[in-house]
Amino acid sequence: MRGRDLRLLMAVLVAVLVAALAVTMAGCTPAQQTETQGEGTTQGEPIKIGAIVSLTGTYAGLGDPEKKAIEMEVDRINKAGGINGRQIEVIFEDDGTDETKAVAAVSKLIEQDKVVAIIGATGTGPTMAVRGDVDRAQIPQVSMAGGTVITETFDDLVFQTPWSNKIVMPYLLKYMKDHDITKIGVISDSGGFGKDALAVLQKSAPGAGVEIASSQTFNPGDTDFTAQLTKVKDSGANALVIATAGKEASAIAKAAKDLNIGMPVYGTHGNARTEFIEGAGDAAEGFRFPAGKILLPETYGTDTEAYKVATDFVNRYTAANGKAPDTFAGHAYDAINLIAEAAKRAQGDLTPAALRDEIEKTAGWVGIGGTFTFSPEDHNGLSENDIVMYEVKDGKWVLAPEN
Amino acid sequence: MEALAQFIVAGLKSGAIYALLALGFTIVYASTGAINFAQGEFFMLGGVIGVWLLSLGMPIPLAVLGAIVLTAAIGVVFEILAVRPIEGGDPLRIIMVTIGGSVLLRQLALHAFGPDELTFPAFTRGPSIRLLGAAIERQTVWIWGLTLLAVLALAAMYRYTGFGKAMRATSIRSEAARLVGIDAAGMVTASFGLSAALGAMAGLVVAPLTQTAFNVGSAIGLKGFAAAILGGLGNPVAAVGGGLILGVLESLTAGYIDPLYKDAVALVVLLLVLFIRPQGLFGGAAREKV
Repeated sequence: MRGRDLRLLMAVLVAVLVAALAVTMAGCTPAQQTETQGEGTTQGEPIKIGAIVSLTGTYAGLGDPEKKAIEMEVDRINKAGGINGRQIEVIFEDDGTDETKAVAAVSKLIEQDKVVAIIGATGTGPTMAVRGDVDRAQIPQVSMAGGTVITETFDDLVFQTPWSNKIVMPYLLKYMKDHDITKIGVISDSGGFGKDALAVLQKSAPGAGVEIASSQTFNPGDTDFTAQLTKVKDSGANALVIATAGKEASAIAKAAKDLNIGMPVYGTHGNARTEFIEGAGDAAEGFRFPAGKILLPETYGTDTEAYKVATDFVNRYTAANGKAPDTFAGHAYDAINLIAEAAKRAQGDLTPAALRDEIEKTAGWVGIGGTFTFSPEDHNGLSENDIVMYEVKDGKWVLAPEN
Repeated sequence: MEALAQFIVAGLKSGAIYALLALGFTIVYASTGAINFAQGEFFMLGGVIGVWLLSLGMPIPLAVLGAIVLTAAIGVVFEILAVRPIEGGDPLRIIMVTIGGSVLLRQLALHAFGPDELTFPAFTRGPSIRLLGAAIERQTVWIWGLTLLAVLALAAMYRYTGFGKAMRATSIRSEAARLVGIDAAGMVTASFGLSAALGAMAGLVVAPLTQTAFNVGSAIGLKGFAAAILGGLGNPVAAVGGGLILGVLESLTAGYIDPLYKDAVALVVLLLVLFIRPQGLFGGAAREKV
């Protein structure tokens, strides 16, 4: 019996160990990320900013470059002397692409860390989920998520750096119309981005002279899209629009080619990732998507300030990470710098309220996503001029033909 | 008609993947009486390790083989470290350990291979094949071929090899098997290795179609589990049948009802089967393990 008890004890021990290890691995992701930046000589306390990013879960591939870009910028600002003599300290929290975790993260940042501003989240869902806490604490929030709802459901405190679907979708529709596409089939995910994109498409299509002949949906994580694509094929559409920021986009593009749907395939700024092209392979050829100019900095115009800002960012990011930044890294660059610039302008005590007011006064600030001009009515601050149409050619994105 | 053929092709494609996972569940269940909730992670490991081996410059066949062997080795190590100490213990504890193990494996993969989706090239390139008006991707042919091969090899092993007979004997009556000199604990280890290899193969063969990433395991693991239950746990042939039926059912639901409800419909059918035939569609009379 003793041997048996011992074995039982061992089993329990191992189970506990495994579970504990698993919990620490999962749990320590945010803890590990709680790195302190900006030590050294400072006059006064560091300026604390909280960042909620998705380092695990569906949007892990987006949150990772965002975190890297923020770290790089904070480092740069601090080395240059900080903000009016104060260093910046960014406290990262991982939301695991999960609304509940985002809420837990934001209350920790507000209650324990006493941050003056929130960057985040990576996704639209978590961004919206933390609004209650942000409102209660009355601190400004700069989101890196693309959902229209973030700034459409207006909140004094909430800003947004990516081009919202409200800018991108009308641009996409107009481009398609100019290319004699009048009937489209849409396949969108049932998550935040897809729903948002579909809603904007449905609203703007009639005005643009484009008819949505077939609207199909899928669940994030799906691996087969035969049913949806067959229906789009039979709907008489002239083009397929893939509306998702998820990894399913490459499988959809591939299936569209295999099923021979026989129409051009368009995407959104959610597909501006090299992983998409790698995943879709041959099927990505000819794929067109609207996105910001950062993908090809020369589209800003080589003599512009935007070009200088962008190439500087691209060079520094590539040197630090061995990989060129994607658009998501750009959204994070814009978020941290919008806050830093506003903090620089603020007079007197840097209260959250003063910071918010200064962010809103941003005008003509040249970032990566475009030229930001906020107003009390517009907290996205970008326009159609900040996006262009790309086409995938020989496994790379190039500027799509104008007309 | 053309659409129906296309939906069935799609269903049999997903179904074959579910079948491979269901086989993994069945093999571990037969030897331990427990559900291995880390099965989906073996699927994930197969894909990400395969991509890693490719990046080291290995040709595709070698990378596939290497990934299957490495994942099987991880399955074996996992069993020895975490499951064997519970030997003789109740299945419930094994289940707990595998749940913890799945989280551990997923997080390790995230740290080792990064958060981005990874691409495994198609085994053979070329346009899709046409059959009865339906398009069949070349990779789908690979999926079917390898699934068939795995099932035949498994059947032959169980029937004709001493090792396979020993595994079967252990699963029928572990105590008696031990009395006639079979290393029962070793058989449990082997079952984990074997099911990990099957999971890895599924993960590899589907990776060219959908890409892979550290977090693809849990969702597909659930589907494989559902397929195993649908067919009847503990019976390899039933597992394959369950997988194929589940795949086709999902595809037809997506095609004729609504893609958003395909998981729900599959679950409802699963529940109905559990109410009416708790032993599964193809399971014989429930066999109580002693």
